[in-house]
Amino acid sequence: MPAPISLRRYYDVNGWFFVVPALGLIAVFMIYPIIWSLWMSFQTGRGLVMHFGGLANIVRLTEDPVFQLALTNTILFFVIQVPIMLTLALFTAVLLDDPKLKFAGLIRTAIFLPCVMSLVVYSVIFKSMFVDDGVVNRALAAVGAISGPIPWMSDPFWARVLLIVAITWRWTGYNMIFYLAALQNIDRSIYEVARIDGVPATARFFRLTVPMLKPVILFTTVTSTIGTLQLFDEARNIVASDTSAGTAGPGDSVLTLSVYIYNLTFRFMPSFGYAATVSYVIVILVALLSFVQFTVARERD
Amino acid sequence: MSDLKLVDVSKSFGAVEILKKINLDVKAGEFIVFVGPSGCGKSTLLRLIAGLEEITAGELVIGGKRMNDIDPSHRGLAMVFQSYALNPHMTVAENMGFALKFAGLPSAEIRARVLSAAHILDLEPLLQRRPKALSGGQRQRVAIGRAIVRQPKVFLFDEPLSNLDAGLRVHMRIEIAKLHRQLGVTTVYVTHDQVEAMTLADRIVVLRAGEVEQIGSPLDLYDNPANLFVAGFIGSPKMNLLPAIVTRTADGRPALRIPDIGDALVALPDRAPRLEDGRAVYIGIRPEQFCVDGSAEFDLAIDIVEHLGGTTFVYARKGSSAAIVVETRDGRAHKSGDAIAVRFDPASLYLFDADGGRIRSAAFGQPNA
Amino acid sequence: MPLPRLLNRIGVYGFLGAMALLSVFPFIWMIVGTTNSTGDIILGHLGLGHAFLDNTQKFFTQANAPLIFWNSAKISLLGTALTLAVSSVAGYGFEIFRSPGRDWLYAGLLLTIMIPFAVLMIPLFMIMGRLGLINTHIAIILPTVASGFVIFYFRQATKAFPSELRDAARVDGLKEWQIFLYIYIPTMRSTYAAAFVIVFMATWNNYLWPLIVLQTNEMKTITLVISSLASAYYPDYGVVMVGALVATLPTLIVFFAMQRQFVQGMLGAIK
Repeated sequence: MPAPISLRRYYDVNGWFFVVPALGLIAVFMIYPIIWSLWMSFQTGRGLVMHFGGLANIVRLTEDPVFQLALTNTILFFVIQVPIMLTLALFTAVLLDDPKLKFAGLIRTAIFLPCVMSLVVYSVIFKSMFVDDGVVNRALAAVGAISGPIPWMSDPFWARVLLIVAITWRWTGYNMIFYLAALQNIDRSIYEVARIDGVPATARFFRLTVPMLKPVILFTTVTSTIGTLQLFDEARNIVASDTSAGTAGPGDSVLTLSVYIYNLTFRFMPSFGYAATVSYVIVILVALLSFVQFTVARERD
Repeated sequence: MSDLKLVDVSKSFGAVEILKKINLDVKAGEFIVFVGPSGCGKSTLLRLIAGLEEITAGELVIGGKRMNDIDPSHRGLAMVFQSYALNPHMTVAENMGFALKFAGLPSAEIRARVLSAAHILDLEPLLQRRPKALSGGQRQRVAIGRAIVRQPKVFLFDEPLSNLDAGLRVHMRIEIAKLHRQLGVTTVYVTHDQVEAMTLADRIVVLRAGEVEQIGSPLDLYDNPANLFVAGFIGSPKMNLLPAIVTRTADGRPALRIPDIGDALVALPDRAPRLEDGRAVYIGIRPEQFCVDGSAEFDLAIDIVEHLGGTTFVYARKGSSAAIVVETRDGRAHKSGDAIAVRFDPASLYLFDADGGRIRSAAFGQPNA
Repeated sequence: MPLPRLLNRIGVYGFLGAMALLSVFPFIWMIVGTTNSTGDIILGHLGLGHAFLDNTQKFFTQANAPLIFWNSAKISLLGTALTLAVSSVAGYGFEIFRSPGRDWLYAGLLLTIMIPFAVLMIPLFMIMGRLGLINTHIAIILPTVASGFVIFYFRQATKAFPSELRDAARVDGLKEWQIFLYIYIPTMRSTYAAAFVIVFMATWNNYLWPLIVLQTNEMKTITLVISSLASAYYPDYGVVMVGALVATLPTLIVFFAMQRQFVQGMLGAIK
C-alpha cells in the first residue's frame, strides 16, 4: 500500500517528472544560448578576444553596407515572395476544393510534392536548371518568351527573381494544404445558400471564403515570414556563390541576414559579438512583423 | 462487498465549492443512485469516492477504513465509465484482464476470471475482437466485464448508459439490475435520468448544486418528496406544480386560490393546518392523481393529447397559463381543442412553501387518498 | 455544357495542370539527370542518357556514398527517436498535470519556437566546443531533442486523448509512467507516426547546423556532401543528380507510404 500522501501532490510530482527532461534540455540548448547571444551582442573584438563594447555593435550596424544589403535583400524577399506564394496557394486551394473536380487528389499530391525535397537538394536542382544554356532558358526561348538567355546566375536582378521563383516552388503546396484543410471544415451549405441567394462567385470568395480562412491565412503569413527572414539554405546553394570568399550571388544579390551571420562567424576572422547583434536584428524583425500581422488581423474583425 | 460512508465530504476547485458537506451511509450490498441535473456535482462525488479527485474536507470510509489518501487502485473498487474507457489497441480479453496483470495475478487466474466474466456477460464469442469492432451495447458489457474481473468490494458506474440508444438503454438497465442481484456487490451509480434511478436503486440520492436534497427509496421519493425540487425532478411526466394563494371560500372555510387556472378555488380538507391568509404557496399534483370523483373540479381546454395506447397524457390549460398534465386511462376520445373537466381530491395535493420546502401535514400528500 | 462554363472548366484544368506539371518537373529533371552527363545537363537535355552507371559510380567513389548515407540515417533515426521520446513525454505532461507555474512555463516554451536558429548557433557552437563534441554526430542530435514545436504538437494532440482512459487506468492500479507507456503510446500511434514524419524530414534535411559542426569528410551528412559537390566551380551535375536522388528517396518513400500522417503532421500545428 502506498504511503498515504495527498493525492494531488502525488499527481503533481509525477507531472514534473514528465516535463523536466525536456525543460532541462531546452534550458541548456535554447535559453542559455539565447542569453549568451544577447550578452555577446554587447561585446566587440575578434575571435575569442572580446571585451565589453556597449552599443558599439549597433553603431557598426548603421555603418556597415554589407549588413544593410543583407537586410534589404531579406526584406525584399519576404515582401515580394510571401504575398505571391500565399495568393497562389489560396487560389489553387479554392479551385481544388471543388468536389466535382476530377483528378483533384492527383493534382493535390503533385503540387504538394516539392515539400518532400530538402532545401539543399531542390536548390542544387534549380541551379542546374537555370544555367545560361539550361533547360529553363531553352524552354522560354522555345515558346518565344525571350530572345537571348536570361542571366539568372550572373545578374543581380535575375538572381533575386530566381530565388523568389525557387522558394515559391518549394512552399506553395505546403501552404495550400493548410488552406485546403480549412476549406474542408467550412460547412458547404454556407456556399449553397449564397448561390441560391444569387451571390456571385467573386463575392463568395472575398466575402465568405477569405474571412472564414482568416486564422489560417494569419498562421501561414506568420510562419512564411519567419521562414523567409531566416533564409539560408537556398541563398547559399541556388545561385553560384563564391563560398570561399563568402559572397552570395552576383554582387551579393542574394546575401541574406542568416548567410551574413554565418559568414561573420565561420568564414571571416570570427566576429562573434557583431554576428550576435545581427542575429538579434532577425529576432526583432520576427517579433515586430508577427506583432503587426496579429494586430492587422484583429483590427479587421 | 463493503459498506461505504461519506462524512461531511466537501470539494472545492479553487474558491468554487462543488460539494457541500455530503453525508451518506451505504450499506453493504446496497444499490445507490446519485441523480440530479447536470452540474449538481454527482459525477464529482463519484470521482471523490474513486480517488480520481482529492477530497477537500470530510471523510470517506470504505469497509471501515478511511480512504481519503489511498490510491484509487487500493480502494477495492472498480469503475465503469460513460465512454466505456476501453483501450482501442487491446482485444476484449486483454482489456478485461489488463488491471489484473498489473495487480500481479498469475495468467491462469486472469484467464479464468476473464472467462467467467465473459460467460456472465455473454461476451465469449467476442473475446478476441477489438473495441472498434463492437457495437455500443457490447462495448458497455466489456466495460462492465472489466470491472467484474477485479472482484471489487464496490462498483462505481458513471452514467454508463447515456451513450446508448433508447432501446439498448432499457435492455442494459435490466442487465445491470440482474447483475447486481447475482453478485450482490455494493454499487454506486450516477445518472441524470430519473427513470434509471427509479428502476435500479435501492436508495436514491438527489443532488442539486452540490447539496443533498433527499435520500430515500425510489417510491419514498416519489410519494414523499422533501421539497419542490425533488417533487419536480422525480416522476415522468413531471408533477404539476402551480403557484397558489391561501384564502377563504365564501362560507369562510380555508381554501387555495390558483391564479393559473382562472383563480379557481380549492377548498382545503378539514384536517388541514391553519395557514395565514394571503400566504403564497405551491401546490403539486401528479398527472395520475387526477380522477373522476374528486371534490375539486375545474374546466380546462385541451392543448395536446399524447396517446400512448394504454394511457393518455392530456396537456390542458386555462387561458394562457402553463399546461397541466393529466393522465387518464380512458382518454381515447379526447382531441386537441376539446374542453376537459378535471377533478382531483384535495387530500392528494402536495403543498410547498414559497421557498420550496414541503408543508407536511397528514391532510395532504396522500398519494392514494 | 454552355460555352462560358466550358471555358471556365478549361481554364481551371489548364491552371491546375500547369501547377501540377511545374511542381513535378524538377523531380523528373532530377531522375532524367542521373542518366545524363554534366555536359548534357547544363545544355538542358531532357531525354534519358547513358551516363547513369558512370554518375552513380563516381558518386559512390568520390563522395564515399555508403558512409555519408549511413551518417545521415544514423543522425536522423536516432535524433527522431529521441525527439519523439522526450518531447512527447513533455507534451503529455503539460496537458495532463496541473502543476503550479505550468502555464507560464508553457507560454515561454512556445516563444522559443519563434527564435531564429541564427541566434543560437554561435553559443551552441561554443557549448559543443567546451563539451568536446565538435565534429560528432551527438552534437547534431542534442539541440533538437527537446523541441518546443514537437512538445506543442503533442500537447495539442493529447487534448484528444480520452481522460477516461487515464482515469480507468488509475482505478486499475497503473502508475503514471505505466499509463503513458501502456495506454497513451498505443492509443496515440497515429500521432506518433505523423510526428515521426515531420521530425525525420527536418533532421534528414538539416543543413546549417551540420555545416557548422561537422568538419571532416567522413562525418558529413548527405545534404552537406551534395551542397559541396554543387558548389564546385565546375559542378559535376550528373553526380549531383545521383546524390540528390539518393537524398530524396527516403523522404519520398516516407511520403508515399504515410501520406495521410504526413499531411496530418504538417497540419498538426493549427489543429
